[in-house]
Amino acid sequence: MSARRPLNNGATSAKSSPEATIPPTVRPETPSNDAADTTSARKQPPPEKPSDVRRRTYVILSFWLIVLLLGLPIWWETTTIYRANLPLSEMLDWADGKACRPVFPLRISIQANSLHEQEAQNLLRLTQHALDDLNDFSGHHLRLQLSPPAAKEAEKDDAGAALTIRLIPGESTTSTLDPYSPILDITYPPHTIPSATSSSSSLATYVASQLRATFAEEQAIISYLLSSDSMPSDHRPQGLTPEAADSLSKRTTRSLKHAPTYHLTFSLFTSGPLPSSWDIEAAIAEFMKPVLDVLSPIHNFTIDTQVQLYATPGVQNQVLTKEDLSSFINAAEWPLSPSIGGAPTVNFIVFVGNQTILAAPQGSPDETDRTSQSWLIPQWGTVYLLPLPSDTTHVSAEKLKQPLLTFTSHLLSLTGTPQSGSLPLRLSTLARIRSADLLLRASSTLGSLARLALALPSISIPESVADGVSKTMSHLRLACETLGGAEGLGHARIAEAEAERAFFEKSMVGQLYFPDEHKLAVYIPLLGPVGVPLLLGLLNEIKAWRKRRRERAEQQATKKKE
Amino acid sequence: MDGAKVTLGRTAALYAGAAVLRLALFTLFPGLPDLLTGRVEISTPVTSFKRLQEGLFLYNHNVSPYDGGVYHQAPLFLPLFSLLPSFATLPIFTYLLYIAVDLLSASALIKIADSGEAGSSVHFTSPRREKRWSGFIVAAVFLFNPFTIATCIGRSTSVFTTAAILHAIAKAVAGAPFSAMVAISFASYLSLYPLLLLPPLLILCYDRRNALKPIPSRYNFAVSNVALVVGVIAVLFQMSRFLTGSWEFLPSTYGVQLTLSDLTPNIGLWWYFFIEMFDSFRSFFLAVFWLHLSCYVGGLSIRIRRQPLVVLTLLLGLFAIFKPYPSISDASLFLAMVPLYRHVFPLMRYTFVIAAVIMYTTFLGPAFYHLWIYAGSGNANFFYAITLVWGLGLSLLVCDLTFAVLRDEWEVERPEMVGKDIRQI
Repeated sequence: MSARRPLNNGATSAKSSPEATIPPTVRPETPSNDAADTTSARKQPPPEKPSDVRRRTYVILSFWLIVLLLGLPIWWETTTIYRANLPLSEMLDWADGKACRPVFPLRISIQANSLHEQEAQNLLRLTQHALDDLNDFSGHHLRLQLSPPAAKEAEKDDAGAALTIRLIPGESTTSTLDPYSPILDITYPPHTIPSATSSSSSLATYVASQLRATFAEEQAIISYLLSSDSMPSDHRPQGLTPEAADSLSKRTTRSLKHAPTYHLTFSLFTSGPLPSSWDIEAAIAEFMKPVLDVLSPIHNFTIDTQVQLYATPGVQNQVLTKEDLSSFINAAEWPLSPSIGGAPTVNFIVFVGNQTILAAPQGSPDETDRTSQSWLIPQWGTVYLLPLPSDTTHVSAEKLKQPLLTFTSHLLSLTGTPQSGSLPLRLSTLARIRSADLLLRASSTLGSLARLALALPSISIPESVADGVSKTMSHLRLACETLGGAEGLGHARIAEAEAERAFFEKSMVGQLYFPDEHKLAVYIPLLGPVGVPLLLGLLNEIKAWRKRRRERAEQQATKKKE
Repeated sequence: MDGAKVTLGRTAALYAGAAVLRLALFTLFPGLPDLLTGRVEISTPVTSFKRLQEGLFLYNHNVSPYDGGVYHQAPLFLPLFSLLPSFATLPIFTYLLYIAVDLLSASALIKIADSGEAGSSVHFTSPRREKRWSGFIVAAVFLFNPFTIATCIGRSTSVFTTAAILHAIAKAVAGAPFSAMVAISFASYLSLYPLLLLPPLLILCYDRRNALKPIPSRYNFAVSNVALVVGVIAVLFQMSRFLTGSWEFLPSTYGVQLTLSDLTPNIGLWWYFFIEMFDSFRSFFLAVFWLHLSCYVGGLSIRIRRQPLVVLTLLLGLFAIFKPYPSISDASLFLAMVPLYRHVFPLMRYTFVIAAVIMYTTFLGPAFYHLWIYAGSGNANFFYAITLVWGLGLSLLVCDLTFAVLRDEWEVERPEMVGKDIRQI
């Protein structure tokens, strides 16, 4: 009989099979000649040699030394997340509007050459009172000042003033806005000049109400911007009626997102082989360039043109209804690239054809935006239907006059220019609106970034983001101080660009969604199988070491007893 | 006397046969070398002959060979291949060089086998040592191994590393530490990973040298030899810098191996893993993979201290599986060393499974690669699955050989257990 007990021979264990033993094979039919079997059926393995025990300890130690001395420092070094310090509370202050009260101080100079200094001062004081009484929105200040008569010729240089009021003696109280320069002419009958002691004057009230009317739209737009943003309520203007807010929101959605540069694409589409050329360059130079030049402090424009023959529109009807307009653009076939070189594209399309547009029903809100031949597509551009004789081969600049004038007015509307007032006033208003808009947008981006950094403690924040944030904040501060001027717009523009760059930092975007469970999924599949034998080896070794120590202690105890 | 002559004659015939076979393959099938050069199983980014030619072209036109980001091999290859007549006009010289390198490897292998180190080292003598293969057979197995032949025809530069490693071992077995250290420095210079073979090689040198002529101080021996390796590598680096004009070659050769920046598929396990890896964990797992590769050195050297050649063999096997850019050339080096252990083959348990798995992957690997890259009917997982099975086959062989060697040791201590089955409790 050769039934043997498993023999523990760890002393000579193979590394691949640490506890190799003889299995308990039972083979009764083969009588064994082995002496060991006959003496004891269940043989214990010989004790491990101390040198073998030590060798095993060394082997385990060699693995653990690599893990502890190289593995751990490398793990620490390579997986530590770098988080640059962000001024989180300041960033949130900006987002909440606590850091900056957007105030637009508008200086309005009064030229009253025919009045005495004293009278003029008095009139100014009264008008200012009247204005302050009328004003319910602290963000938008109209400050009157008297321009000295000597400065009459230098009025153009007085860039600080948003508007100049010229008081001219006349027969009745009238006002006219100069269409080409920011000047409001007010005529007054001489008897309406207030005396030095009077506390009210009809002329002062009239001037105040005229001023207010002139800036009403700007005020409404700015207060709309502020109210749609997360401004604190005490700072929020109250006087916005729901209808006004509605029309303003419509206008805001129509206008393009602000960009320093817009790309204008002029396209001539025709459904047949003709016309095949057009005098677009001359037409642009003549009809559009002046407005582009005026807009140039706020935006740059790049222009390209194209002619496309045999272009079929998305709708072939002779009379286009309102529903047809949205599908008229054949987006699949017409080569209208969405944006060239990063700048947003404004498309102006002249379509040669004799389709007509069904007039909108009376009272439709869009009525004003559309002539019978053109329509404006929000944030995209304009389509103009140009009827031409079928044998026209060349479209002259003269024929393009009407389309280009339409395009120009639509461009102003697309850039978000207010609709009332003279052109210079509208443009200076546009600059102020844009700077407010950019300021708010940069602030809210900062706030989003701060909230992101707070919400995701495991996201890394590279130095470039901290840099961008500090640049944004310094430019925001400057913009806030110089709000209303050209400088303010420049700073707000830089601030917005920097904030966007910091927020969309490439290395952060990839980590936006990386919860801690993912780390488990990254570590476990490889390090789990590697770690288990390492840990078990260490545990066994510690157990064996404690056992040996106990045995030695017992031995010593028995020796002492003896 | 006669016997020696006969052996000499047989060896010469073996060399001649191997050389003729290779030359025939080179010349009779003119498309074959280029076909094999393009195979990912043979040419890795750090050994490819195509990339070497690119580097050579740039080098000969006085442009830094590393400028294109294609060449990742040691700079000293460039003057060597520039000295040969142009490959485009007279390829025969390149062929002859590769054949000569293979034969050099074989001669080193014969020296290792004939020393009998595998059967009886200084501290351990196997009771089975009589049953062994002569150097002739071991060399024949190496020279006619299809993997070796394919590597030679594919002109992978890893054959130079193979020759350097085998010569280092042969010199160590002969008790010549200086030559061994110089050879291992060359191997490390060419492909970095042989540096990990230094500890067991030092032990082997020490044992053999000590047996010939007692060495007074182990510590001095180790330090002086390590210093020698460092010195030789430093000299090689200086020469490389002199040749290329800058230290740029360091990141382009060793940097690529350390950071795995070229993710061209190969038969190893790294490329797929690092394609899938999150970027933020990439550097950590690179370190883990390299530590994994190097952590066996200490453990094995301590555990099988008495047979350092076994440690070297097992490490070569592990490198063939786990190194960053393995090719069948690494497997062929390992398979060249395995026949030295003919005497423990009877103790191995999975020889059939191992042979079957290696054959299976040898045929299916190229097929699946074709399905993935050319036919488009498979994807990367097809090829990766096969490389996993290939790794499994090789690791089975490594484990089984480890087991057999340890069992052999154990039976010397416990003679009564000879022939008994073992079981894990």
